[in-house]
Amino acid sequence: MSIEAELAAALEAWRRGGPPPDFETWALRIFRHQYERNAPYRAFCDRRGIRPEGVVRWQDVPPVPTRAFRHADLACAPPEAVFRTSGTTDGVRGRHLVPHLALYRASALAAFERFVLPDGARLSCVFLLPPPAERPDSSLVRMCAWVGEALGAGVEWLAGPAGLDVARLLARLAAAEATGEALLLAGPTAGFARLFDAARAAGRRFRLGPPSRLMDTGGAKGMPRPLSRPGFLRACWTTLGVAGYFCVNEYGMTELCSQRYESVLADRFQGRGLAPRRLLAPPWLRTRVLDPDTLEELPPGATGLLCHHDLANAGSVSAVLTEDLGRTVGDDGIEVVGRVAGAPPRGCGLLLAELGTP
Amino acid sequence: MTADLVARIETALAAARRERRRPRREVAAALATAAVRWRTDPALAAALPAAAGLSPAMVAAVLPLAAEPLDADAMAALVEDELGAGAADGGAPDGPALVVQILASNVPALAVPAIALACLAGVATVVKSGRADPLSAPAFHRALAAVDPALAATVVPADWRGGDRRVEDAVLARADLVVASGHDATLAALAARTHAPLVAYGTRTSLAAVGRDAPPAAAAHLALDAALYDQRGCLSPREVWVEGDADGFAARLTAALRGLAADLPPGPAGLTERAAERIAADEAEWRGARVVAAGGRALVVHAIDSLAALASRLAPGTVECVGVAGARLDAATLRRAGVARLCPLGRMQRPRLSWPRGQRPPLRTLLGIPAEPLLEVEA
Repeated sequence: MSIEAELAAALEAWRRGGPPPDFETWALRIFRHQYERNAPYRAFCDRRGIRPEGVVRWQDVPPVPTRAFRHADLACAPPEAVFRTSGTTDGVRGRHLVPHLALYRASALAAFERFVLPDGARLSCVFLLPPPAERPDSSLVRMCAWVGEALGAGVEWLAGPAGLDVARLLARLAAAEATGEALLLAGPTAGFARLFDAARAAGRRFRLGPPSRLMDTGGAKGMPRPLSRPGFLRACWTTLGVAGYFCVNEYGMTELCSQRYESVLADRFQGRGLAPRRLLAPPWLRTRVLDPDTLEELPPGATGLLCHHDLANAGSVSAVLTEDLGRTVGDDGIEVVGRVAGAPPRGCGLLLAELGTP
Repeated sequence: MTADLVARIETALAAARRERRRPRREVAAALATAAVRWRTDPALAAALPAAAGLSPAMVAAVLPLAAEPLDADAMAALVEDELGAGAADGGAPDGPALVVQILASNVPALAVPAIALACLAGVATVVKSGRADPLSAPAFHRALAAVDPALAATVVPADWRGGDRRVEDAVLARADLVVASGHDATLAALAARTHAPLVAYGTRTSLAAVGRDAPPAAAAHLALDAALYDQRGCLSPREVWVEGDADGFAARLTAALRGLAADLPPGPAGLTERAAERIAADEAEWRGARVVAAGGRALVVHAIDSLAALASRLAPGTVECVGVAGARLDAATLRRAGVARLCPLGRMQRPRLSWPRGQRPPLRTLLGIPAEPLLEVEA
């Protein structure tokens, strides 16, 4: 059995109530696996003089910057799927080669179920996304497809090449309201913002039946207008009749096979309703907050660059240094406070993209 | 504030009309004396580090560099070079009455050459300080007023918050020429709001070229060029192309940068800025380049078989200055690539007042006189 298949089985076991995988043991084993099979990553480690036999803590596994996914194919085996980032400032898109989709699926479903469906609800899924056939390279679409198949009671995709099908979506919401059907709405935050604007323009408000809920992701990316998180939650209530504690923000990225989710729903079902909103992870995803100069870990609560270590990335690279700024919240969560991308380096900036390379 | 600023502009216009007949050589002499006063202004030296985000040692190092080009003879020569033989002994040529200069905030003391060039051109000028240096313009204006009040009266140092439409519209409405530096989006927005011609200086960077015959000190010279102004300026080298032993040069450069970190410590940098530096350096590495980082400065080191091929690799219009050691580069090719300055390593941060920024001759540009794109070659 491959290491990826073995890990997928461990994640499935956790989903069924078993113990979590021992993070450090898996992290070191996976690092060795990646060092041996992922040539660009091995070269990166060698430039730093780091070899598996010298690494005894998971924190010492060298993280690859997300931009590396724009320039190298970081995979330990031929990919079963290639997911692409949604776009960058200079038009170069990153790509995440995933050799073992089963592991990705196991991770995505287990975390989604734990944080978005902690009550075991099985709801009709309405995705503000195009169907997988139209966006085979979208990791979010793929994840939602798995969620719909495994955890939903039916799936509808309400976006297409022309974007969100607002008329169809409004009609679907009206139908659900009329029958009291509970929905799981999921999609980009920007898609929900468009929905709110369209409903307001049409003078429509809905009261979706309990236990309807929504999951949004992507933050400000592609938003038609600025919308604060409190404003978003208010609109969820006034437009859809979904209370804020049934609105879960997802933090994910193409380069990772695991995701973080807002704690609000899981906390509610675990009797921790007064705990602060924070982004929680399944036990195989850990995040460190690093000083950008030294890449040393910062004290709890300090803001720095987020560096994720995702065991479910066993087929590519597990340690990923992001361009997100964030901080730890409590002993199990993080908060994302901003993003560096687009911020120019000092002065006139490093115009590498515009200069030739040898 | 707007009414006061407009009144000061009217005063400056009247003063410039009176000053037009003065020989430019006399103006140059006054500017040179003012530059010496400005350079030794203790209040400026004390306050500028906090304002500009540079260390006190760095400010102490760069103030003389900013004042250095205001040499009386050099300025007179610049007038003669650009405006013709005998121009230094004559009055100001015809040109716009009011030039509004909007400065960038990446490096301090940009107001000094801006004011000097306007005075030499004989135009009234509004100089809007950059966000990170509201001190240099008023300080130089004070120094000039102490030396030559009539000439100082042609200058309006101003500092309003960027985006204050009421003030900006009032000032832009009076302008006959606008000179602005900044990010491309900022300049595009400005272009849409002014009826006057706009001379826009957008984002540019600089690089170094090290040939096989470069002396051992080349690494130290490049380190100094990078360290000055904390690598913030468009004259700051960000990349170096090395013929021959690139690894050896990178090692020497690392050592030199480390050494300079003590003498010229970097100023405090914000989290986003530091993170952006990290990301840029990381990306360079994954593009196959070697990144040398030490003392808060970073350069990308490229190996190249022959520097003769360098010019053809440059994206047109992106490189302001090329610093060279141990090689001869083809100036004509560099000029076609948009490079404005070619100088020895160690002198990249010491441009003359004649530096044709963005390939534009400075005085003719202020006077609205058309000119061919220029590359200044310094021996």
